[in-house]
Amino acid sequence: MDYLIFSLSLMLVYIGLAQLLHVQFGLLGIPNFGVVGFWGIGLYGTGVLFVEFSFPLLLAIIVASGLSAVLAYGLSVLVLQRSGQAILAATLAFAAIVSTLVITEKQLTNGVQGLGTIGFPFGDLANRNAIFLGILAGVVGILIWASARLRDSRLGRVMLAIRDNEELAASLGKDTSTTKRMTFAVTCGLMGLLGGLSAPLHQFLVPYLLAPSLTFAVWIALVLGGKAHNLGAMMGVFATFGLFDIVVETYAPVPPDYALLVPNFKLFCYGVLLVLIIMFRPTGILGEEGPKVRTTAPPARLPNAALGEE
Amino acid sequence: MLLLDAIFIGLLEASPLVLAAMGFTLIFYLNGFMNIAFAETITFGAYLAILFNVVLGLHFYMAIVPSMLFSGAMSVAVYLAIFRPALNRGVGPTEMIILSVGVSFMLRYGLILAVGPENLFLNEPRIAYMQFLGMGATNLQLIALVLVFAMAGLLYWIIYNTGLGEQMRGLANNHELAMASGINPHRTSVAIWFIAGCAGGLSGVFSGVFAQVTPYMGWNVILITMLVTIVAGIGSVRGALVAAVVAGILTAFITLVSKPLYSEVVLLLAFIGVLTFRGARAA
Repeated sequence: MDYLIFSLSLMLVYIGLAQLLHVQFGLLGIPNFGVVGFWGIGLYGTGVLFVEFSFPLLLAIIVASGLSAVLAYGLSVLVLQRSGQAILAATLAFAAIVSTLVITEKQLTNGVQGLGTIGFPFGDLANRNAIFLGILAGVVGILIWASARLRDSRLGRVMLAIRDNEELAASLGKDTSTTKRMTFAVTCGLMGLLGGLSAPLHQFLVPYLLAPSLTFAVWIALVLGGKAHNLGAMMGVFATFGLFDIVVETYAPVPPDYALLVPNFKLFCYGVLLVLIIMFRPTGILGEEGPKVRTTAPPARLPNAALGEE
Repeated sequence: MLLLDAIFIGLLEASPLVLAAMGFTLIFYLNGFMNIAFAETITFGAYLAILFNVVLGLHFYMAIVPSMLFSGAMSVAVYLAIFRPALNRGVGPTEMIILSVGVSFMLRYGLILAVGPENLFLNEPRIAYMQFLGMGATNLQLIALVLVFAMAGLLYWIIYNTGLGEQMRGLANNHELAMASGINPHRTSVAIWFIAGCAGGLSGVFSGVFAQVTPYMGWNVILITMLVTIVAGIGSVRGALVAAVVAGILTAFITLVSKPLYSEVVLLLAFIGVLTFRGARAA
């Protein structure tokens, strides 16, 4: 039961990250391949502040998420106006820098030996992990709701305009670079928040957690589910992490001799799924939502037509 | 003296990177997307060398040639089976990169499922330690260096001095115009993917013989290859050569003066800096 709660909590973290990536890439068109870097700053920031400086957990999470947002803003000033491929390489490099620094700065992070332990909040309650699962579900629910609202807001329309044609949006007087930077910083800060919330889940932090595989898992889920659909992230995580890491690992009868092959087989399947989806259904399982157009407003009547009726 | 050491060590260590960066650049230039699955071309080169050298018992130097040619053939097969149909369907550059990540996962974990995740070792030829201008190197390193720069020179000549290179540059710059001038895009693309695959495979053989052969070896160098390529300027084979050599020397220099892990951080920061101030042509 505890293991199932852990897996479900981890799945919620993946959904949250994929949802934020949906805002960054699906709505705004920024190919952020440094997801694990921003998540990792939240994770390790929380861990270091909590263990080494004995901050209260909530304060540690908030400070670490803020740090993630600030660094994301800095990076966005440097590279966000470059081509998509340059942004992709720069964010990937950023994540590599974060994971290397976690190994080298031993006096803070304890290096490869690992940093711990970070307990759940409400430590005196018996089902504290279930409560934490509930908190995560609340946070992820708010993220999904907020990005649905965002899409239909003025800001969301500016974001879609930037994704489709940035020069055109700029020529209509929209401040495209500020919009991109602020949205990128806020969403990366929220990735840091999810990282901070992951710290009590993992309890013991090791640099291995910051491997780029997390970034790719989130990308695969988002592309599979539908990058421009508000529920695409959730759908994609169900179809990848939910199916393979929860259903197969928990319930499928795998003979022990082959148990070690399962993770490799899973990643092989991810690769095949990704190729198939991009070749045959590039918008993902759910496709793209059209913008909601308000059709209930009555058509404006022309004044002279009104006169003619009289 | 420190600088001279750094240049020497850097050149030795950069030799596989030079080939990888040149092969990666060719595909980037021709088709306009970053092919992450190029990592697997490098890995397959090393595994093919294991096949010819360890399993079939060929001498290491004899195993280099078939490993290289088969890597090229594999690169062409992946292009024909996956990337060409995707390009024909009009998949955009960012989606092409995601597609290549998928191909990379498929090939890498398919390889692990087929041959297992263990690290393997090539049967090295007899190692002799040599003194060269006061600095030590093994005969293998020197031979690799010579071969790599011979290959790099050959590639350079193909791109800038032959009809094939001209056709490739024509296709990359203006696809319609090149086709209207009678260039067969299919034949040129196959040739370029073959050459790029050979370069990647050879890079894998040398990084495999310097250390060990693992399923992740290509993946571990693809980030630095990507950054070298972008900084060099998209499609500049000349630039990729220079940038890879500079990156190798820089890494060696920082490793000599500080901890090895910091060299990676400094190198990555330098790349982000170059990207910021120089930018890259929007693809």
